[in-house]
Amino acid sequence: MKNILVLIQRFYLFLMFLALQIFALVFLFRNNNFHQAEFIRHSSDWIGGIYSKRAQLSEYLRLGEINDELSLENAQLRSQSADNFIAIRSDVDTLSDSTFQQRYTYRTAKVVNATVNREKNYITIDRGTNGGVLQDMGVISGGNILGVVRSVSEHFAIVMPVLHADFKASVRLKKSGAFGSLVWAGGDASLADVIEIPKNIPVAPGDTLVTSGYSTFFPANIHVGTIQEIDDESDNNYHILKIKLGVDFRRLDHVLVVSDIMKTEQDSLLKQMGED
Amino acid sequence: MLQTIILNIVRILFLILLQSQIVSRIDLFDGLILPWVYIFGLLMLPFETPRWLTMIIAFVTGLLMDFFSGPIGLHTSACVVLGYAQPIVQKILAPREGYDLTQKPTVQRMGLAWYLTYAGVLTLVHHSWFFFMEVFRFSDFFYQIFHILLSSLATIVLMTIGQYLIYNSKSSQL
Repeated sequence: MKNILVLIQRFYLFLMFLALQIFALVFLFRNNNFHQAEFIRHSSDWIGGIYSKRAQLSEYLRLGEINDELSLENAQLRSQSADNFIAIRSDVDTLSDSTFQQRYTYRTAKVVNATVNREKNYITIDRGTNGGVLQDMGVISGGNILGVVRSVSEHFAIVMPVLHADFKASVRLKKSGAFGSLVWAGGDASLADVIEIPKNIPVAPGDTLVTSGYSTFFPANIHVGTIQEIDDESDNNYHILKIKLGVDFRRLDHVLVVSDIMKTEQDSLLKQMGED
Repeated sequence: MLQTIILNIVRILFLILLQSQIVSRIDLFDGLILPWVYIFGLLMLPFETPRWLTMIIAFVTGLLMDFFSGPIGLHTSACVVLGYAQPIVQKILAPREGYDLTQKPTVQRMGLAWYLTYAGVLTLVHHSWFFFMEVFRFSDFFYQIFHILLSSLATIVLMTIGQYLIYNSKSSQL
């Protein structure tokens, strides 16, 4: 017993080092992706507050640009408004439409923090559960795919953007309809990879990729990016496509959070299949 | 004494804010160069700080930094390594008669060569641990080495310039 005490006394610094290190590493590697979520839930109000202040400042500096973007979008929306359309034939003036049912709704949110230079980047937006944002909702910016909500607190949400080592989304070639997966291998924040498109599908630089609509995160046909480079060097049967992302991660301001009204329905159906 | 404690706490908090709000947002060569200058606050701890306290301060600093720039545990882990190594490096680099109580780990008090060795070794230790823990794979090994060396170099340059800007020989009593 005495020996143990002497041993502890002699090596207490190293033991302390081990204890603190193990504490840190358990946090780091336990629950690999989302260890941040729990902490964010508790700390996000003040950390988020600091980030909001800074975001306000940088937003102020580019108000002009934001105004232009918004007025452009306004003009586009206005041109779609019902007032601009006239009935050509009077006999179909009223039409009860039961063919379509709304599936997706959108909420606006503002980006308060974003990183682009890490292996696993995260984006913080200023809308949480109080604003109707839930986990696994898709986020788009200027009509382009941006990421998926990973954790939410009352006033903030953390988004895993395309620029994250664990991000994966189902995408489709607009021209031929072939499916592939969107991933990011690190490095340049404006480029990502599309894999799993078979080599027999013809592709050309400049082709557009859109979301497939298979997942419940994003509606179909949301713009992803355009092909910049085609790499067919590998031995397997798939293209590796370098694509230029449509969204500029270095200047994010206003984003839209997509919520899928039929998400629970689709997911529970899939889960049912899995249980059988 | 109290003045030193307050000064060190304020310095560490200020550096964490500086790091998270400004320095981390500087995007050089798609993240190839990513300086973590907040460790300056740890390197500036007085020589007479007990070793266990250095480690505790490093742990808390790392945890605070993780809140801003997660994942939780990454900075904490790297800072604990730094906190453990710092007194050892100080001991190795100590002058023959030891440090006297008025000496601070600054360029002005210890000389440029001493400072560059001290900050250089510790920054390399911290950054190597940090970047290998962040990706936790040994693919792209040479890219990682390059990443660590360039980031460390940027950190050391920024810290050294910072010293010349903030401390002059008159105010180095602090």
